[in-house]
Amino acid sequence: MPSDSKDKRIGVFICHCGKNIAGGVDIEALLQSIRETPGVKFVAENRYSCSEDGQIDIQNAIQDQELDRVIIAACAPSLHLMTFQRCGESAGIEPSFVDLIDIRKWTMHGNPEKVDPDEALERSKKLIKQAVKRMSLKRVIPQVVVKTEPSVLVIGGGVAGLEAALDLADKGYEVNLVERLPTIGGKMALLYKVFPTNDCAPCILAPKTAYANIHPGINLLTYSEVTAVEGYIGNFSVKVTRKPRYINEDSCTGCGLCVEKCPQKVIDSVYSAGIGERKAIYIPYDLAIPKKAVIDDENCLYMKTGACRLCEDECPTDAIDFDQESRTIELKAGAIIVATGFDEYNPTEKTEYGYDRYDNVITQYQLARILDIDGPTKGKLLRPSDGKEPQNIAMIQCVGSRDENTNEYCSSICCMYALKHAQIIREMVLPDTEIYICYIDMRTAGKNFEAYYRRTRELGINFIRGRPGEIIEETDTKNLIMKVEDPDLGRLLNLEVEMVVLSCATLPSEGTEQLSGILGTALDENGFYQEVHPKLRPVETNVRGIYICGAAQGPKDIPDSIVQAKAAASCVDGELRKGEIKLPEFIVKTTGPDKEG
Amino acid sequence: MIKLEEVYVEDFMSPGCVGCPAVKAMLEELSDELECELIIEEVDITVDATRAAQYGIMSVPAVAINGILKFVGLPDRKELKDAIIEELEG
Repeated sequence: MPSDSKDKRIGVFICHCGKNIAGGVDIEALLQSIRETPGVKFVAENRYSCSEDGQIDIQNAIQDQELDRVIIAACAPSLHLMTFQRCGESAGIEPSFVDLIDIRKWTMHGNPEKVDPDEALERSKKLIKQAVKRMSLKRVIPQVVVKTEPSVLVIGGGVAGLEAALDLADKGYEVNLVERLPTIGGKMALLYKVFPTNDCAPCILAPKTAYANIHPGINLLTYSEVTAVEGYIGNFSVKVTRKPRYINEDSCTGCGLCVEKCPQKVIDSVYSAGIGERKAIYIPYDLAIPKKAVIDDENCLYMKTGACRLCEDECPTDAIDFDQESRTIELKAGAIIVATGFDEYNPTEKTEYGYDRYDNVITQYQLARILDIDGPTKGKLLRPSDGKEPQNIAMIQCVGSRDENTNEYCSSICCMYALKHAQIIREMVLPDTEIYICYIDMRTAGKNFEAYYRRTRELGINFIRGRPGEIIEETDTKNLIMKVEDPDLGRLLNLEVEMVVLSCATLPSEGTEQLSGILGTALDENGFYQEVHPKLRPVETNVRGIYICGAAQGPKDIPDSIVQAKAAASCVDGELRKGEIKLPEFIVKTTGPDKEG
Repeated sequence: MIKLEEVYVEDFMSPGCVGCPAVKAMLEELSDELECELIIEEVDITVDATRAAQYGIMSVPAVAINGILKFVGLPDRKELKDAIIEELEG
């Protein structure tokens, strides 16, 4: 039953945040204005409202002044709302009657929204008065306690998704791991080696993929996509569309006889980055999990022309099933973790580098596949134009990163993978090949990364602090000619190399926008999933119960992806472990499994 | 029965939301139509995710009236008007 707003006893507390707020707005003028605001019974200031002293002052005022609504004008609600709601609750105020509003964004040095003190005063007055009005009319949000499902949906079977899935399955949750591709392992499985240890990537990933494959708590749903999500934390209802492999997974032994027999070759744009070929029926790679064949229905001769079926004749277990169709299954999930990773930027639009015009210009991801001894060239580094071993190679950094025409952000991992590939080529593949790395800045922040950079320099790799404006192909030799100004040497270098490798930006993976629409989660200005707070709540999203980890949240390396995966798993466990949760009644009634209407 | 003269409406939206401008327009019309002070606050959930999370909002548009979430999705104009009147009449 609404009651008259005149009955409310509203207290407003203005935080100085040291000088962060007090240094950018006239606190005395703000206090005076709020004192005169209708509905406000009490106004005070704190040097730090969130400090122990500040919270005691608020609690004392609640009791002495008999306040029943509290507004703290300080910093972002994502940072401290819970602090003040707990503070108010222990003094007897219902949490939804405690509000935190952010006036610090207009006063704090370094904040992009900072304005001059007069403007900050006017905006702060307006925001506080708005909050007073809102709180004076606000009623308690009715809450109900609902049971939570002890199951979790993990979207993405790369290293981050695997880590989160294993952590939660080991804790006793039932995990459905959905992967869009036919195999789990993600990009890491295809990197050959990883910095800064130069470990074999598939070897160190295999314990996780193999364990996920046999874990009784993990249900692998490969070659599948999430197509609908409804509900709320504790009770999500999920639709997953399983694409047809045209293979009976239970019967397929992964022997590969069907692949050998298949007459149809196609360029493998996924597992060989467009460098190598595969058959229309294929097993992605030797260590693929699950090691099951899949038929590419766009290129299968039988699917296209109605003739062939050689694979069917060859299969010793009769696993081929051309009648399979796409099907949708429904799952329950108490929480969702999004670990959809990244894609490499396609540098075609950077026409100055000639990626789509010159055969000998490739990307670092393509180079990773070439260097892989199980990759399309079995580890042989040969020029695409003529199959010769390149005598010199130039790597160009920040292609599509730190670039106002494409992506302004730093992709974070490109410096390190360029160093890794330079080391591999020098030490293991072509020791006499000259390597140039053309860079803006070398960014090697991370444990043991600087030593890795130093070691690369000691191997005699040439570092040029500048990037070419344009690459020209020499028609006869297919060599690549470029001019690079090196400010460290103070001169213009004319480079002629036999191969160029572009260190391309890290982009949100294909389908991120569509999936975020299904989940109701926000994306940041670069298209990655938006976290609630970049420092303090990096794996939570705007939707309670949906968490993010790995490169889906922003460019990052494997160790950071693992850390985030564990953090996301910990958040899920924190929410679901009690088996029940208190939620707004409206949400339970309108979006849950027992919704009305 | 306690009669209120004002109602506080939180209009949850996001920049890319297709249905949100329609809710905004409806609220502005109702503000002229109803004999009360309709205080409308537009809350961008990409800026203030915490407020949306308090209500448990997963998608926009969504409308809360005097602190109670009333609609998720595009509301029917009559239902929206009735919900506001219900708050005014208590």
